[in-house]
Amino acid sequence: MLKRLYDWIDLRIGAREIVQKELTGYLLPRKINEWYSLGSVLLVIFALQVATGILLMIYYVPDAERAFKSITFIMNELPYGWLIRLCHAVGSNMMVAVLMLHMLSTLIMGSYKSPRELNWLTGFLLFTLVQGISLTGYLAPWSQLSFWATTVATNSASAIPAIGPYLVEFLRGGKLVGPPTLGRFFALHVALLPIAIAALIGAHLFLLKRTGISTPPFGDPETNKPWQPKSYSYQSHPGGIPFFPNYALQDLTSICIYFAIFLALVFFAPNLFFTPDAFVPADPFQTPAHIKPEWYFLANYQTLKIFPSELLGLFVQAAAMTFLALLPFIDRSPERHPLKRPLFLACAVGGILLWIGLTVWGHFS
Amino acid sequence: MENDGRRKFLGVCLAGATTAAAVAAVYPVFRYLAPRSSRLGEGKLVFAAGDIPEGEAKFFEYAGSAAVLVRTRTGELAALSAVCTHLGCIVQWEKDKQDFLCPCHAGHYSPDGAVLSGPPPRPLAKIPVTVAEGKIIVG
Amino acid sequence: MIKMAHSFSATLQLTALGALLLFALTTVQPTDASAEPPETVCTQCHASLPDQLGTPVALWRKSIHAENGISCDSCHGGNPKDAANAMDRSRGFSGAPGEPEVPGFCGRCHPGVLKDYLASAHGKALGQGGPTCVTCHGNHQVLKASLELINEKSCSRCHSFERARAIKAAMQGTEGHILDIDRRISGFKASGVDTDRLGKALFAERNRFHTLFHDVNVERVKAESIRIDAALGKLDRDLKEIEETRTKRKVVGGIAVFSMLLIALLVHLLKKSYP
Repeated sequence: MLKRLYDWIDLRIGAREIVQKELTGYLLPRKINEWYSLGSVLLVIFALQVATGILLMIYYVPDAERAFKSITFIMNELPYGWLIRLCHAVGSNMMVAVLMLHMLSTLIMGSYKSPRELNWLTGFLLFTLVQGISLTGYLAPWSQLSFWATTVATNSASAIPAIGPYLVEFLRGGKLVGPPTLGRFFALHVALLPIAIAALIGAHLFLLKRTGISTPPFGDPETNKPWQPKSYSYQSHPGGIPFFPNYALQDLTSICIYFAIFLALVFFAPNLFFTPDAFVPADPFQTPAHIKPEWYFLANYQTLKIFPSELLGLFVQAAAMTFLALLPFIDRSPERHPLKRPLFLACAVGGILLWIGLTVWGHFS
Repeated sequence: MENDGRRKFLGVCLAGATTAAAVAAVYPVFRYLAPRSSRLGEGKLVFAAGDIPEGEAKFFEYAGSAAVLVRTRTGELAALSAVCTHLGCIVQWEKDKQDFLCPCHAGHYSPDGAVLSGPPPRPLAKIPVTVAEGKIIVG
Repeated sequence: MIKMAHSFSATLQLTALGALLLFALTTVQPTDASAEPPETVCTQCHASLPDQLGTPVALWRKSIHAENGISCDSCHGGNPKDAANAMDRSRGFSGAPGEPEVPGFCGRCHPGVLKDYLASAHGKALGQGGPTCVTCHGNHQVLKASLELINEKSCSRCHSFERARAIKAAMQGTEGHILDIDRRISGFKASGVDTDRLGKALFAERNRFHTLFHDVNVERVKAESIRIDAALGKLDRDLKEIEETRTKRKVVGGIAVFSMLLIALLVHLLKKSYP
């Protein structure tokens, strides 16, 4: 019966051909490893965030007077409201964490190098957009934590010369964080940023499919092949393993392991991401002590605290981000094996340790 | 082939496990979205006797939907559901005619809820009301 | 080469694990909130004065009044921002109260306590050797009220300690109970539970309990304590219900995590069955 349906569809759109091209006939390198499945894990996380986000939007009220109460309602009165909300909150943190792991594996395996510069660029843009969507979402509950963390975060823009203070006002929709801030942050969070992220994911996947997936540099004696084509050609992997069912199942395994970790956090450590201040309604007249941003912004926060001039702190961070964004154009050597790129490895390990150090320092300071 | 058999077995196990997981995921979402039952009879409302003068009606919310308290010119007090029994519009009180008019299809009800004219099939539902010590208790 | 690759993969995995650990470490954040008492001309001047003109400031700074933003002018009146006229009686300054005026002085903000005190044996002895508020609470270093104020040293200044001891014993159990419930409510609040109704109920019972503090009739204290304990018992049951729901959720969570790992294993085995 199912076969008859499949035949009916195939006659009209050539489904068999698509399945052959994209699934069963799409060959991946034999030496592909688990790290390559992080991309599909991210897709699942994003989908879950959109789903839980839409469910939350049904009951959440984006008005400064009612936002906190609506979330208290969701957490306490609505059946399984607590589950939806916690999935969304934990999911956002997991998205940033998995995204960092994905970036890390790309860096280590040198998959950002030619001909994949565009992939890296779209990925980097996705990284900044995900940071943005996390920042805007943080304000939604309108708790003491939301309110003051947003105040601290938007304040940092004031160090920019000339336009700084105006930029802060523009971001906040006023001199201080208030109802106008909630309005614009909400619009960014539920409309503009998700659409932008979805579009960039589309571009990212298209580039990946069009260029062809990279081969892991491990177990290969020749990892220093310069890319000097005369015209476009797809990087195929003849004799490789088919995406479906082989690597699709690997993707599924990784997704299930992710869910195990994710659900463990949701059910057993939901408070990992909530301080007591997250359950006190925002009071614009009382700043709590020890307000800090979320863990993924602690390094930025600490950097600003180190430099006596806030402008210098911002500049250093902008430089670091620019360097990261333009990495494929700075690091042009064709060598991809990490142990054969001592300079890169030193910089990468150094950079990661620095980031970790700043994050831990930011937490305890 | 041994592999085939194993594959089939795993496939079946997997299908079962994923179906269970899918049900476990859909159930909370269904409960989350399903409208909540308005528990009738719970929560009484109290009004001061002076709130409703003779010949006037007061609309309020009771058990999740619209209700009305009306005191006729002869002094009788009634608490009724203000939801028209025809298609559900909210009725209005006509002070000059001392009756309820449904604006949607011109159904008319008397002050005690009986259908006077128009398409409504049943009278307005009555809500229990008592008067004690100058207070009107609805519910 | 392949060995190197495997050990590298392992290193990456270790790094990831380390990152996850770090992630867990940095997300536990303690916070607390406290208000700063406003600066007044009173403290600015008196802090540097000698002896009994200056010591109240240091004492006050350690008090619960200072912690909650209550300054000199809240009790003594006067304008806290106008140095020239701060102590002008015609502008509201009331100076230090004499002994019979003390209860009225404190009772301006603590009217409930004043009422209880005046009805008690202590209040009836006001002006005839009986204690005023400051006898037990101090005047500037007023600390958060606790059962420790009822102690042998303090009470035996005027009479024997037996009655006070009986009262304290009756109240100690209740005090512990209230603190325990308060702690559990705070715990739940910090994890998103709407503790409004419970918090208010506890607040009401706590107040009822605190009025006992100034009632020195042993029998009445014992009876009231029993009644309050019953009400606290009901709060206990409510909290227990919340705890049970939480435990149920954890069990479901455990099943969910286990199922996911099981599915992961099944998928992995299925994958291995393909060439």
